[in-house]
Amino acid sequence: MSIVINPETDNTFEDPGKRAPLVLGGLDYGGVTENVASLWEATRPPRAWYITLGISMSFMAILGACILHLFMKGTGIWGNNNPVYWGFPIVNFVFWVGIGHAGTLISAILFLFRQNWRTSINRAAEAMTIFAVICAGTFPGIHIGRVWAFYWLFPVPTEHLAMWPNFRSPLLWDVFAVGTYATVSVLFWYMGMVPDIATFRDRCRTKIGKLVYGILSLGWTGSSRGWHRYEAAYVILAALATPLVLSVHTIVSFDFAVSQVPGWHTTIFPPYFVAGAIFSGFAMVVTLLVPCRQLFGLKNLITIRHLENMNKIIMATGLMVGTAYGIEFFIAWYSGVQTETFAFYNRAFGNFWWAYWIMVSCNVFIPQVFWFKWARTTPWFMVIICIFVNIGMWFERFVICITSLCRDYLPSSWAYFYPTEFDILMLLGSFGLFFTLFTLFCRYLPVIAMAEVKNIIPRGGHGDDHDHHETHGSPAVAGE
Amino acid sequence: MADHNKKKTESDHPVSRLVGLLAQFDDPDSLIHAGTHAREAGYKKMDAFTPFPLHGIDEAIGIRRTWLPFFVLAIGLSACAFGLFLQYYSNAGDWSPIFPGYAFMISGKPLFSLPANIPVAFEITVLSSAFAAFFGMWALNRLPRLANPLHRISRFRRATNDRFFLLLEAGDEKYDSSRSRQQLEEWGATAIEECNEDLTDREFPKVLKMAGLILVFLLMIPPVLIFRASGGTSRAPRLHFMPDMDWQDKYKSQVLAPDFDDSVKHTGLFADGRAMRVPLPGTIALGKLENDTEYHRGFLPPQSSYTGELPVLGEKLAGQFNLQDEKPEGTAEGAAAVQEGAAAPQDPNAPPEPNWVTEFPANVPVSRELVERGRQRFEIYCSACHGYNGNGGGLINQHAMALAVNGQAAWTAAKSLHDPTITVQPVGRIFDTMTNGRNTMGPYKSQIPIADRWAIVLYVKALQETGITPAVIAPVEGAPETTPATKPAE
Repeated sequence: MSIVINPETDNTFEDPGKRAPLVLGGLDYGGVTENVASLWEATRPPRAWYITLGISMSFMAILGACILHLFMKGTGIWGNNNPVYWGFPIVNFVFWVGIGHAGTLISAILFLFRQNWRTSINRAAEAMTIFAVICAGTFPGIHIGRVWAFYWLFPVPTEHLAMWPNFRSPLLWDVFAVGTYATVSVLFWYMGMVPDIATFRDRCRTKIGKLVYGILSLGWTGSSRGWHRYEAAYVILAALATPLVLSVHTIVSFDFAVSQVPGWHTTIFPPYFVAGAIFSGFAMVVTLLVPCRQLFGLKNLITIRHLENMNKIIMATGLMVGTAYGIEFFIAWYSGVQTETFAFYNRAFGNFWWAYWIMVSCNVFIPQVFWFKWARTTPWFMVIICIFVNIGMWFERFVICITSLCRDYLPSSWAYFYPTEFDILMLLGSFGLFFTLFTLFCRYLPVIAMAEVKNIIPRGGHGDDHDHHETHGSPAVAGE
Repeated sequence: MADHNKKKTESDHPVSRLVGLLAQFDDPDSLIHAGTHAREAGYKKMDAFTPFPLHGIDEAIGIRRTWLPFFVLAIGLSACAFGLFLQYYSNAGDWSPIFPGYAFMISGKPLFSLPANIPVAFEITVLSSAFAAFFGMWALNRLPRLANPLHRISRFRRATNDRFFLLLEAGDEKYDSSRSRQQLEEWGATAIEECNEDLTDREFPKVLKMAGLILVFLLMIPPVLIFRASGGTSRAPRLHFMPDMDWQDKYKSQVLAPDFDDSVKHTGLFADGRAMRVPLPGTIALGKLENDTEYHRGFLPPQSSYTGELPVLGEKLAGQFNLQDEKPEGTAEGAAAVQEGAAAPQDPNAPPEPNWVTEFPANVPVSRELVERGRQRFEIYCSACHGYNGNGGGLINQHAMALAVNGQAAWTAAKSLHDPTITVQPVGRIFDTMTNGRNTMGPYKSQIPIADRWAIVLYVKALQETGITPAVIAPVEGAPETTPATKPAE
């Protein structure tokens, strides 16, 4: 049960015919529990945790103050004005929804593809999804102006008014897509966490902890009958979440693509948005997990191999996004539509050229360093690259949203967009909200899906790297 | 079965109930082997407890496949149908008598077009299926469960960590305390323990019950207060929880601008503090020229003086911000005073009476329909005072007269339209009375459009011709010269 940490172990080399170990340090079942629970059991978390929480909560308070001010004054405090009625709030919304997508990809799609390496990172990634969707939902939520009439978004029957939402509007599809996504993500995350919360319950020593974790674990015992139905439900949820996550960013892209604004009205938007979402989401996962594994001693569970795999995905999706940028220009030229051609010329060389080139540099050029193995396996370096990727992805949404609206069909309505101080404070504040939630999550909930990791430890529990599935005849669900 | 397992105290109250034998195994493979042995030995009621889903245990202890997927499928399909129906119901028509839908006409497209309705139907399907999978799974597992005798065994805490357990339930036919224990030892258990359910403290704690009741009661107070504040009667203005843009800092036409900025007082859009420019003198709004004096004012165009006054009139009107004033300046009131002679002495300075039209203007089509229209309008606007038959017996007049007799109100009786001073009035004069008012009668030009005013004039003339009973309307040629009809009512 003692943790044998062997930092020299490198699991990034491929040995043909053998599977690289995903858990290092010779951790057995008990060792995994000890390792994951150590931060939670510590009477005092590391000082860095307090510092992160303090900074994050300050920014979250700024967000709260800004929202209060918004409610008192109205949406005029933002820079949104004719012709750019979709300013920072929508940019932030699309950015945060996109961030969320990596979590679902890791938890659902990689699960269906039997990618065992997901087990160490899926819990944190799913938590990230939920916190990102909370940030995302905030922006359209406060963007509706009369927030107290929010229920008009939903089909609520009225006695005489016949006041229904228009079900053919992409903005309404958004309400359903993001609402469903948030709900299903929470269900998936919580369901996956119940066995681990039960572990915490059984290790808890304080009375209040016993009560809270006892209620949250719903009386889970680890019964085999329970596990049987649990796994069935888990596969179903994964199979539901997979088309769901693709539909969400598709529908978010419809907000733009279904309109007729030049630069928006293109069929490439759905796949392009989904690829971009996964790209930015993985970058955020890496940004969060590298400091997390460092601070909380999770290096044996979130290994360099995990990080390297994620960097490979970042590079792959980055190339997809880069291809999409190129295709957009090609189609704009090939279509021969003057406004379309102008829209793209204007993106790259118009009044927002700087935003466009920040986007291209951060999203296309900079991630190319991941061709080098050193860049893929050096934690501090990859964090820097991933932060660039997220800056780039924020600017991608900015470029799409703002440049097209600034220069649409009617030259007399052309104008420049200036964000106000509240736009910027709210963007920073949303990061505060996100990091506050994530920091609290790291301390109070199981950061790593212990039950799932235990399942991929080869049986016998001694870290030898033979493939455990072949040792048993059962058609095992790998990764579960 | 449970009865013979109950341990009896002296008072014959069962204190605990035997659940079964819990055996601990140190690695997953020995648990699977033990499970296989137990199944082969004929045990049916047993369960294994593992820190992670152990593959191979289902076959070992004989767990049947769950039917959860079919449940989810059924819910998903129903939800898809519901999603499509919801959109059809609410967007494609308003045929429902209660909670009616609304036929959304968008760019002339069909009211229901499947492609545009797929996203919402899909999301509803996924959401409902996810709920079905999540809640269905917990329901099938009989969870959440607040208390479980297994959790009283300290050893069992490692079931969620690194140990594997097999529970042979006491309810099983094959169960025999000593023999089962022996078998478990043979199968490789590292520890065996009896699991007992404590039956003495199964009651829900009374303190919690009370606390819950009090909490529910307290939680009901805020909504009640809100309901009272927003629904009850009160002398003070109601609490305004949602301002809903009722107070806005904005410019309004022809009003001093609000102080957006306290440091600068009355900063209008313009130097004079206004938010709107004053029209130039003589400005007449588009379509408001109203140069047909006979039709718009009820008198013949003056031969000399009036033509010259138009610009002056415009200027005056512009100064009052009332461009629609049709009143021939300074004439009506004075003329009224003259006409109502008995009430007001003749003012020698009053301008001369205008040349009232005696025939209906050319663009007033005198017809039965117009009389009917006039009747309708008369009954809406005039009958309250003048009465349905024009004799001044309207309800308001009656009531006000009653008050005036008691000295509780000052009131000038509404004229009977059959009064000889009225019956001789030319149509233009009646039109002017309606337009600008007379004595205590207010002007109706803002309520009644010109065409309707002429219709009322026509009806009034018809009333005067037919006596006091309006039920039968004689065909009127439009001029008062026609012989008076003498048909009494009915």
